[in-house]
Amino acid sequence: MNCEVCHLKELEVESFEIREVLRCILHTIIFHRALGLIRPKDIDLELFDITYVQCGEIEVEKKIDETIEHFISWIEKHPNKKSQISLSFYEVKSKQPSWFNNKQRSYWEQWYVNLNVLHQTKSPSHHSKLVMDTGEASEERNSRRTMLEQSLQEVLFQIIKFVNEKKDHVPPINDGVIYCPFEITMPSSSDSTFGRDIWKRMLHSGGHPSMLS
Amino acid sequence: MNRSSSSNSEGAKAEQVIFEFFAKSLHIILESRTPFMSSRNFSGDQMIPVRRRTSSLLLNSKMNRSSSNSEGAKAEQIIFEFFAKSLHIILESRTPFMSSRNFSGEQMICSPSSSSSSSSSVRPRDKWFNLALRECPAALESFDIGRRSTLEPLVVDVVLVARPFDQMNSPGKRELIRNFSGKEYHSDQDELGGCEAKNEQIIERWIVQYDNRKIKEPSKRSSSSSNKLQVMYKKATLLLRSLFAMVRLLPAYKIFRELNSSGQISKFKLVPRVPTIIDPFTRREEAEMHKFAFTPVDTICGRLCMSVLYRSLSDVSCQHSAPVSPTFITDYVGSPLADPLKRFTSLPLSYGSPPLMSFQRRHSWSFDRYKASSPPPSVSCSPSPTRSDSQALVTNPCSRRLPPHPCDIPSGRRKESYAEDFSPPCSPSAPTQAVPRSITRTESAPVRIPAPTFQSNQNVVVAPSSHLKLSRHASLKPVRNTGPVESGAALEKLHIYGREDFRRNSGVKLSSNSSPRVSFSRSSSRSYQDDFDDNDFPCPFDVEYDEITDPSSSRPSSFEQRGDPHEPPHESSGSYPKKSQDAAVGALVNMLKKAPPLRQDVSESSITELCWNKKNKPGGGQEIATASMTASGIALAAKTTADALEELRSYKEMKNVLLSQSTKDSFSPFAVSES
Repeated sequence: MNCEVCHLKELEVESFEIREVLRCILHTIIFHRALGLIRPKDIDLELFDITYVQCGEIEVEKKIDETIEHFISWIEKHPNKKSQISLSFYEVKSKQPSWFNNKQRSYWEQWYVNLNVLHQTKSPSHHSKLVMDTGEASEERNSRRTMLEQSLQEVLFQIIKFVNEKKDHVPPINDGVIYCPFEITMPSSSDSTFGRDIWKRMLHSGGHPSMLS
Repeated sequence: MNRSSSSNSEGAKAEQVIFEFFAKSLHIILESRTPFMSSRNFSGDQMIPVRRRTSSLLLNSKMNRSSSNSEGAKAEQIIFEFFAKSLHIILESRTPFMSSRNFSGEQMICSPSSSSSSSSSVRPRDKWFNLALRECPAALESFDIGRRSTLEPLVVDVVLVARPFDQMNSPGKRELIRNFSGKEYHSDQDELGGCEAKNEQIIERWIVQYDNRKIKEPSKRSSSSSNKLQVMYKKATLLLRSLFAMVRLLPAYKIFRELNSSGQISKFKLVPRVPTIIDPFTRREEAEMHKFAFTPVDTICGRLCMSVLYRSLSDVSCQHSAPVSPTFITDYVGSPLADPLKRFTSLPLSYGSPPLMSFQRRHSWSFDRYKASSPPPSVSCSPSPTRSDSQALVTNPCSRRLPPHPCDIPSGRRKESYAEDFSPPCSPSAPTQAVPRSITRTESAPVRIPAPTFQSNQNVVVAPSSHLKLSRHASLKPVRNTGPVESGAALEKLHIYGREDFRRNSGVKLSSNSSPRVSFSRSSSRSYQDDFDDNDFPCPFDVEYDEITDPSSSRPSSFEQRGDPHEPPHESSGSYPKKSQDAAVGALVNMLKKAPPLRQDVSESSITELCWNKKNKPGGGQEIATASMTASGIALAAKTTADALEELRSYKEMKNVLLSQSTKDSFSPFAVSES
């Protein structure tokens, strides 16, 4: 089975927007890969006029929130850096227990969420400061927010298109499995993402050449 | 598919899947597009009879298999359920709840705002494609999926309808409809494509159909039919997931949300329809709409297709009747930020308060108010706008780049610059209000004052204060004794000492015989007149002033009426520095005239001045020249020509020095050309 890779459009976000943007994107992707019986939840973003869908599983929500918190703390240590979050879906195969791990992970899909976190000079908490800003700064902020909302919608459309176009690689629906197992990796730096992912895949899958496609 | 038993079984299964797919699609669309009427007569099992009824009708001539063919039946069922589910998904997100009071508790749980996970019971139809949806409205049945053949496309039109009690003249409704297509709707609604009423428009059209013409990849026949069915079912599940996400990204969902959250009867309603007769869109309509086509799902004998045509409704939410969140307007008239007086506290008010008050009396808008206007309310009131806030953001028209400081602009063109930069809503009289600042700035630019001897015919504004009087006398001596350069310095001193007076007096033209460059300021002249009456220092041009103007009419309007034919009216605001210079020059000239001659050539200087004035200001300085001539007529005979020429030469040098200093002011009334 081939591993399909999707690189999402890069988004320029401020630190206080990271949480909502990542939740929206990650939940949308996982919803499309939650092929078990689910009751979807509609979630309205607070910062943007967008409604996304969650699969409704609490475990998924917890895992995503933990990842986002780790990412935010990493961003605070590495400001003004382009970052990438990888969401990978895999199958667990226990056919060939290896020395490293009894279970092998066979990655069949990988999503890359690209974010460019802008250094925020003024936080929303400084409301009074915002009020006294010139009209130019507020207009620029509003336009940036509008652009980000449009970009986020484009990313969601991109996800839907990808899910529609490529279905063959998705493993069959297993009874009792609500959502396809996944992992979210947060690279320490954008340069080492590729290498680390490859190393992880090699450890888990046993080095199947199709994983590298 | 009729050739072998195995192919027959596969075909039957495929048919069943297709059937269920259609049914599910229809279910999904209807669920989110049909108003909830009553839940008492509606149960989750009601769909089952429909399916049972339709399962036997679903098969067409090609797909008509024996019911014992399980695979075919399964395929058929899948297709049907796909249709139903699609319809359910679409209707669920396009049918606003009309009233929650008549709903049962079950329906309350299934309101749009509630989470679907609150209901733990799993209905049979929820299991289809593993997607548990909210309670399907009773009207879902009315679409009668069972009557449909899988070959018939399922079309769901989402129509925006103006409520019947709304009048056609309702501006909100007109506005909303106008935003859809950019034009107002009239009685001829043929272009709407299926909408017969005047106040309806299709904002979305969903099309779900089974295409059995194409048989894809016959080489894959080797795979088991069950495997094919599983793949087909999996892909249909993925497609329905995408549909569920897509319906919430399209613009119509925003209307759906607004109608649900408004809490009051809106002027419009969203009505999903499954037309039996599908009127295609016109080319123009189709060009206005966007299209998104889902990737078809291949079946054994065809494929399932789904697409949507939708309109962009980015403007609709702004015109909607949904309550708009309050926005804070900080620069309202009379607010502290807009208070003109607030900005004037930094200016010296010893002489300026009356004129400033006069400015305020005359104009309610001011440069300072403009400058003090806050950022757009969108920023001040909602730093993190919510859904409704983002739609109600108002841009402050005054929140733009501030105009350049009046003193940064050449004085002669200040009025014009203000007219260009200032916008009427913010500060229609900004040029006038900017005068005090220019006066203040003028204080720091003493070099603007030209030599009075060269410009005695110019309009001069008197500095009536006693300070000026003393300074004038103090500066006279150096002027008399030293030479032309000193006189220039003395003029500067005079200007500095009398700057406070200039602040008041600038902008007032006392003589109509001014150069075209001397501008007149209406409001400032009024202020000058206020001080002028209290003046204890006689204006050096009292005579001329009396001759030229009527003191009683020394009002802004009178000056205008005197008119100043040589003076363009739009240059009034640029006159402030010139008036101050005029005042200084006038004062100096007056002093020179009245001072006792130190030597015989004093009269010669007067003659020189006279000659210069006559030459360069033929029209403007006639009166002054006359007086000078009379005073110096007697001494003229006693002075030789050479001395006069020498005197003239010295004054020319002085003039050149002063001109070089005043070259910044392009409208300097004292800029004269060399003879």
